Amino acid sequence: MKKILVVLFSLTMLSLASGCAINRATATVESPSALGNIKTMYVTKLAADGRGINSLIADKFSKHGYTVTTGIEQPSNVDAIVTYRDKWMWDITMYMLELTITIRDPKTDYPLASGNSYHTSLTRKSPTEMVDEVVDNILKQGK
Amino acid sequence: MFQPMQRAFLLAAGFAIINTMGCASPASRESMSVQNVTVIKKHPYSVSVETKGGSETSAIDSPGISDADLKAAIEKSIIDSSLFKNIVQGKGGDYLLTVRVTQVSKPLFAIDMKVDLETAWSLLRVADNSIVMRKVIKTTHVSTMGDSVVGVTRLRLAVEGAARENIAQGIKAISELDL
Repeated sequence: MKKILVVLFSLTMLSLASGCAINRATATVESPSALGNIKTMYVTKLAADGRGINSLIADKFSKHGYTVTTGIEQPSNVDAIVTYRDKWMWDITMYMLELTITIRDPKTDYPLASGNSYHTSLTRKSPTEMVDEVVDNILKQGK
Repeated sequence: MFQPMQRAFLLAAGFAIINTMGCASPASRESMSVQNVTVIKKHPYSVSVETKGGSETSAIDSPGISDADLKAAIEKSIIDSSLFKNIVQGKGGDYLLTVRVTQVSKPLFAIDMKVDLETAWSLLRVADNSIVMRKVIKTTHVSTMGDSVVGVTRLRLAVEGAARENIAQGIKAISELDL
């Protein structure tokens, strides 16, 4: 009976799965010069983010020479707003499965550039490495 | 032949196998294209369309939106709605419409598959290189067990639905412009 339940549970979980996994890293910008006039940025912290991903993103952009602040209340005097969405999975330990970072026009919310990285368990990266990869790919496109 | 418990197990296993069988397939251009969209103004110009930020779908991936399929779906929707006089391949049109997929949020496991799609639409007047529209469009679509019992199919339907609504809103926004 216990074995049957285990098999049934496994099959049920499989039935809810949307497909298998893959690794990818992509980025697009509106135009090669889209990020040219940006000097100051504000990373908008997700309310549900308890891991400080906003700080990692802010630190990364700071290393590239931008003046970056972060928090939950968007200021009006910055050149760009940075938003992000992170997705986590569990496999022995929690790991960041996917990260999308978008650089937006502060007045219109229009995405000037965005990048996405997706790495599954066997090739998992640390949150810092994920942030590095996404930001580097965005800035590579924007140069 | 089978005990009640065995019968129940076989039924459940069969249901689960139906749910999981099949590989991921990409969102189709036909299903993403919009029919019967109401346009406010029809523009007597030609337009060329380019798409960026999409992703190819491999057999082991979850359903995605490829640039080629999104482009074809937008072009078909423009033709069907008569939004522009005609479509030009390459960059020889009066206007250049660029659509970038900036975010696709898809569930890994779910009974109801909810997909959030964000795209950036920009319309450029080629003659003077001026941007006449820049718009971010965010759409959501949910597919349920009633749409399909197969997980990957349910997810593909949700992706297609979000894309279809996204294209409909984009076309409507362009039709409101004075070009």
